Amino acid sequence: MLISIGVIAALPWLLASGYWRGILVLCAMNVLLALSLNLVLGYTGQLNLGQSAFFGIGAYVSTILIKTYGWNFWLAALAAVGAAGLVGVALAAFAVRLRGHYLAIASLGFAVITYQVLVNWESVTQGVRGIYGILPPVPNTVALFYLVAGIGLLVYFLLDNLVHSPVGDTLRAIREDEVSAAALGVNAAVWKAFAFGLGAAIAGLAGCFYPGFVGTLVPDAFGIVESFTMMAMVIVGGMGTMIGPVIGAIVLTFLPELLRGFGELRLMVYGLALTLVVLFMPGGIVQAWIAFRNKLA
Amino acid sequence: MTDLLALIVQQSVNGVYLGCLYVMVALGLTLIYGVLNQINFAHADFVTVGAFTAFFTVTRFATKVLGIPDTGAYLLSLFAALGAGALLGWVVSAAVFAPLRRRGADELRPLIATIGVSVLLENGQLALFGPIPYQFDSPLARETIRLGPIFFSGQSALVVAVSVAAIAALYAFMRFTFMGKALRAVAQDRETAGLMGINENLVIALTIVIASALAGVAGAMLGPVVVLTPFTGASLIVKAFAIVIIGGFGNMEGTIIAGLLVGIIEAFTVQYLGSGLIDLVVFAMLLAMLVLRPTGLIAERKEENV
Amino acid sequence: MTALLKAEKLHKSFGGVRAVYDVSLDVPAGSIFALIGPNGAGKSTLLNLLSGVYQPDSGSLSFDQANLIGLPAYERARLGIARTFQKIRLFKQLTLLENVLAGFHIRQDVPLWKCFFPGGAGRFRDEAMDLLSSVGLGNRGNDRAGALSYGQQRMLEIARALATRPKLFMLDEPAAGLNSAEVGLLLERLSLIRKGGATVIVVEHNMDLVMNIAERVLVMDHGVRLFEGTPREVQANPGVIEAYLGGEFAA
Repeated sequence: MLISIGVIAALPWLLASGYWRGILVLCAMNVLLALSLNLVLGYTGQLNLGQSAFFGIGAYVSTILIKTYGWNFWLAALAAVGAAGLVGVALAAFAVRLRGHYLAIASLGFAVITYQVLVNWESVTQGVRGIYGILPPVPNTVALFYLVAGIGLLVYFLLDNLVHSPVGDTLRAIREDEVSAAALGVNAAVWKAFAFGLGAAIAGLAGCFYPGFVGTLVPDAFGIVESFTMMAMVIVGGMGTMIGPVIGAIVLTFLPELLRGFGELRLMVYGLALTLVVLFMPGGIVQAWIAFRNKLA
Repeated sequence: MTDLLALIVQQSVNGVYLGCLYVMVALGLTLIYGVLNQINFAHADFVTVGAFTAFFTVTRFATKVLGIPDTGAYLLSLFAALGAGALLGWVVSAAVFAPLRRRGADELRPLIATIGVSVLLENGQLALFGPIPYQFDSPLARETIRLGPIFFSGQSALVVAVSVAAIAALYAFMRFTFMGKALRAVAQDRETAGLMGINENLVIALTIVIASALAGVAGAMLGPVVVLTPFTGASLIVKAFAIVIIGGFGNMEGTIIAGLLVGIIEAFTVQYLGSGLIDLVVFAMLLAMLVLRPTGLIAERKEENV
Repeated sequence: MTALLKAEKLHKSFGGVRAVYDVSLDVPAGSIFALIGPNGAGKSTLLNLLSGVYQPDSGSLSFDQANLIGLPAYERARLGIARTFQKIRLFKQLTLLENVLAGFHIRQDVPLWKCFFPGGAGRFRDEAMDLLSSVGLGNRGNDRAGALSYGQQRMLEIARALATRPKLFMLDEPAAGLNSAEVGLLLERLSLIRKGGATVIVVEHNMDLVMNIAERVLVMDHGVRLFEGTPREVQANPGVIEAYLGGEFAA
């Protein structure tokens, strides 16, 4: 734990250019997003492809409250997180009735509908024209990185305890076999709502920092592609573990940057990594690491 | 009053034209599901590949290299797209679906694998073709045919003709050829079909190839009608899912009806509500369907065996 | 003896097929009650009606004075009904210990907020290990459940269900696929459960088990109640013998 704090504190000074510091902020946001999706997908076993919608809700609700109504950033963020969480609970209603690929498609449909609302409700969201001139809550990139990374660390700490508590047992029971979990007294509907709501709230939290980071807010960052990218991070890193999504987020944020020499082809890293991992190493990097360690022993 | 009637009929005709395109896409999806019990998330990207293949065949190859005039070039591009789709389907089947089947993977892994393929295809095409929309003009779009008060373009006529021919061919194949019957057998009960001497892997691969070929041709015909970018698939896939769910997974007749239905609804929505809201309407329908009747309009429920 | 579980005139059809028709039963508290019948008799469906996997089309059902009709499965578990399944349903990717710990869900009393902080872990670890030991799996707590043999998986499923401290324990064909040593262990377990004060309902094909341990037997065939009595009475009943075509009851 202390090592992580130390590493995080040092990073902006190791990667000292404005560009790389920006990547660090992005990485911290991706870590938050991956952790949020992992709670629903990895621990509760719900095939949620709509996580990008909550990222978007967090971004738009906070920005609109700040810009149109003059709210303070932190209050706006609180409201945005709450809004995202509530919508997450609503999506859970689908998860109660649907399984497997039906849920995948429903959640995908949900993401698309949210995107369409963001695009078409121009009076509120400015649609594709975008909202301009958004300022981050802290004055510079390094501070923003520390802020988001700090929050990421806190979220990791809380979630880590959660999954090792009886709640974690319950969520995993739902993931493994809902029918026998019910026979053990687990009210799957309530716990799915909890997982979805909490996951959505965390994604919404990440969304609060995104507009300030990019300066301009357009709906494009919150579509299906973003959902798929989040999923890639969770799975490539190691679904259902705590450190997996963190690793996945770091790897898939930095790898395309390191491959800049290859031009646009570098974006294929996401698809390639995801496909290869699912084919050959479904437990992701974490699984590979454990297998490697066992080989040495 | 005849004006209103004419308008309604016109929109319906437009809807049928659009619907046929959607049917071509969705049919492939439902075929793959029928035989593999898996959803191919990359299917709409096969369509995009078909569209780009057709585009480059027309603009670079046919007219410049072979010197074929417009219409001929376009028709040639249909075949090129069909081939590209088939090839892509074969590659994905061999590289992704077959290995996962061998490892006895559950239903989650292949689904995610196809998501990976989808992202791969989209970014690959982004690298090759760039993000700016391509202007794909079909020569047939300029020709207008007139039937009484109803107008439709040569393109629409082609689309309907090709779709009907493809569907008819598919039905004939499934009904009258050995391979077709083998396909239906595998769709119903893979294990038993295998025990009866049917080579399931061959049948499955063939199904995927046919489905992808259909997607490719659909792409060639869809290209002129949509905004053609590497991400066209992403906006198309949910519509395709909506159709397959409304029609019932694995249910060919249902998919055809649902595809036409969605096409007609879209045509009317564009006319009266504006194009921005089409997606919203269709996806709202999808979600409603999933909540009310997840197994489709026609299919039956299967009780889970506890 | 008071009836712990009372069912009256239960009906259940699936799309025109009558799985359970006009079935009534009283299960006395503290007894071991067996449910037997040929394949397709509706025994598993009846068990599913009792545990809440299915809701009956009509009829009444009560447990310990509480009305079960309309109550979902997880609520029934909270009332004290536990069960195992014909097709073993374990949390295959989790360890044995994690499986059993999940069984303590009803008894967990840690408030939600505390679970976000260290030390929110429940206090049932020792009891879970005891349960594992009692079924002979005490030394394999950290193995993956999927790695166990079939017989061991069955015992794990039982241990996990026992974590809920049930008043009524229902088992669906627990002896299927077990060798005779494992069946012996199962018999021991069942009588220990009964000695602990719980009531047991067993759906079974294995006649040794039924004859050895059941106090009352209900025979079903084609969804209806054929006969009810002590094991001896059942063995002697001509209608029952006919239903089984004389096979399993050859004296």
